[in-house]
Amino acid sequence: MIPDFDQQGKAQTQQWEPEVAAPAILLENVSKSYGRIFALSNITLALNGGVTGVLGMNGAGKSTLFNLLMGKLKVSQGSVKLFGTDPWKNPAPYARVGFVPEHEKMYDWMTGHEFVSTFARLNGLTRDEAKGEADRVLDFVSLSDVAHKKIGQYSKGMRQRVKIAHALVNDPELIILDEPLQGCDPLARTTIMNVIRELGRMGRTVLVSSHILQEIERITEQIIILHQGRLLALGNLHSIRERLDKIPHRISIQTEDPKALAKDVIDLDEVFGISFPDGKNLSIQTHNLGAIHSRLPRIIVDNNHKVSTIDNPDDDLASILGYLTSGGGV
Amino acid sequence: MATKPQSIYRSLDRKASAIIEFTLRQYRTKKSTWVVLGVGFTALSLIFLIYIDVMASEFESIDNDRDSTDYDNDGYPRGQEILLGTDPWDGNSHPGLFDPPIEPDPKSMYINEDDFDWDVTIRLGEQSTGYDDDGDCLDSNKTASQKDTNGNGIPCDIVVEYYRLSDGNFYASIDADNGVDEDPDEDAYSREAIHIAFVLSIGKLGFVLLLGIFLPLFMATGLIRDEMNSGTMHFMLAKPIARTELFLYRTLGYLGIVWPYVIALGILGAIVSGFAGSGDSFFRFADLGVWLAIIFATMMATLVYGMLFNALGVLWKYGIILAIPFAAWELGMALLSMGAPDATLLRFSIIGWALMIIDAAAMLVWPNLDLFILMGNWGGDGNAGWNFETSLEGAGPLGFFSSKPGLGLSAFTAMIVSTLVLLFQAAIFWFIGGALFKGKEIQ
Repeated sequence: MIPDFDQQGKAQTQQWEPEVAAPAILLENVSKSYGRIFALSNITLALNGGVTGVLGMNGAGKSTLFNLLMGKLKVSQGSVKLFGTDPWKNPAPYARVGFVPEHEKMYDWMTGHEFVSTFARLNGLTRDEAKGEADRVLDFVSLSDVAHKKIGQYSKGMRQRVKIAHALVNDPELIILDEPLQGCDPLARTTIMNVIRELGRMGRTVLVSSHILQEIERITEQIIILHQGRLLALGNLHSIRERLDKIPHRISIQTEDPKALAKDVIDLDEVFGISFPDGKNLSIQTHNLGAIHSRLPRIIVDNNHKVSTIDNPDDDLASILGYLTSGGGV
Repeated sequence: MATKPQSIYRSLDRKASAIIEFTLRQYRTKKSTWVVLGVGFTALSLIFLIYIDVMASEFESIDNDRDSTDYDNDGYPRGQEILLGTDPWDGNSHPGLFDPPIEPDPKSMYINEDDFDWDVTIRLGEQSTGYDDDGDCLDSNKTASQKDTNGNGIPCDIVVEYYRLSDGNFYASIDADNGVDEDPDEDAYSREAIHIAFVLSIGKLGFVLLLGIFLPLFMATGLIRDEMNSGTMHFMLAKPIARTELFLYRTLGYLGIVWPYVIALGILGAIVSGFAGSGDSFFRFADLGVWLAIIFATMMATLVYGMLFNALGVLWKYGIILAIPFAAWELGMALLSMGAPDATLLRFSIIGWALMIIDAAAMLVWPNLDLFILMGNWGGDGNAGWNFETSLEGAGPLGFFSSKPGLGLSAFTAMIVSTLVLLFQAAIFWFIGGALFKGKEIQ
């Protein structure tokens, strides 16, 4: 199922010589400002291998970061290097990079296959090689059956996948995806997530942005959190989470008899507060989210509670950001 | 799979042909492309129709020397009376009183009866030409001095003199003996003059100016800019291709539409004017050289303007607004080139050089065009010289639309020089556009 990325049809070797062992992405003290407004300030980052999620609210600087990496913006300060080369000055590194832009607009008059193969030729492939590559990458994102339909007829998820396919041409070492899951239906989401995970397993460096924590969580554990243009956190999501678990958290449970459930959980060490927002809901305050989540199912099953939903209203990007910006940086 | 050796040319070829092909297909799907091409075709077709109509109509024959009129009402036209020595102003003096009496000639015999008989080519100095077809100069009753009113010692001829003034310009004068070539055939002259004027005017204004500016104005300004606006530029810029390359290939893609279109319209023009044009031959093959030059000049103009307007599109979101002053400037320069082809200002235009190609071709195909214009302006009135009254229909427009290639170069050199200058201009605008694009931040 997984195509052999080293098979024939691969593009020519680059004549340009990369710096020895240069990391895929290297940012040193990078700032980008528009007048007096800093879209990114003082970011230092080196990435090589694995899938990294870039998390941030809208306007946090995710797209600015990607546009700097893709040579569309010029840094105000610092330096950006892709495989040791400044992408603003030299497009050569893009022979090894695949990029999935956030923009929705596509060439609706082309078929998916035409789109992918036409742009594959910009990697220096011949017409035939490009067609072969297009077949391969479209299969990789499970679009083979609609490859010869016009992009204009594609669903949002198909469009995202064809964009990803276009970026995978020529087997890039670094793949950058700007909000690839935005607007996709659950099925497309799953497919795209699988594709991204697969790329990570194949040893590619993948950078994927999102403003939804749960999405990133399903793809990777290594994350970068951007907030107001600053690099707020960089590392393993679990370690960030564990520390998050220590701060007060709410768990909201919708059940038929909140009071009965409250009785069963009130004695747990981790619970320090309980409230009843309304007759159907129970809200538990805890210092250790993980422990509660591991115990809660047992309690519910043993005491035969009728629970319809369990929700962590604080377990989202906003609350993580809130925690991190209140001085608890990782 | 056999791998072919990698070379810069091969990778260039792949990228270039991909972008060119892509641009062609993209423009094919745009409605605006078809609207622009359709409007251009309609406009030129209308002019072709007007031309065909003009060519199909008869040009009124004028009795330039007024010798078909019977001033004294004796039934004999003035010309016949002069030839036969009776008094054209006296009703009691006419050839009917001769013994035997002579029947009056029909009036039409004295219209267009003394057409041009010029067999000189343009050169400096004085030349003698012309022949008195109707015999009103060679009349045996005239004295030697009456036959040689221009005083060059040759009876009944025309003196064509070319001289160069200290300002470097050529001037011409025509001095004919009374009654030589004084009643030319308007239909023959005007038909030919209007045909040539049409070919030159549609070539210069219709093709080089109209197509040359409006096609790029609507089709080249958005080559890069539209992609930047819609965000689709990200797909292209994510590939290992330099922006200056992209700029060039996009422009080449646009030329891939515009050039075949210009060539097709040029061929249409050549066919229409070749068949409908004046002359005895079935088809005017010689004119093909001029049409070739018109097509070539328009292709060069669309190339240079394409690069320029594409660069303006990169420069500013509303690049088309920046392009309009250029278009206005070029329109002025086009008009200037017809009036003053040697004006220095023309060197700072694109169209001045493009029109020079057409002028040079016209000079090669119609080497005696200047003399022909001179002839028409003179119109048979040996004494009036440049008097507008006597000039023949068609000579005015022809004089306006034709001009000598500037710089005092020979036709062939002028073509080469102007082609090189246009290519250089295209390269400069490519360089500027590429540099602007390279320095552009794209959101």
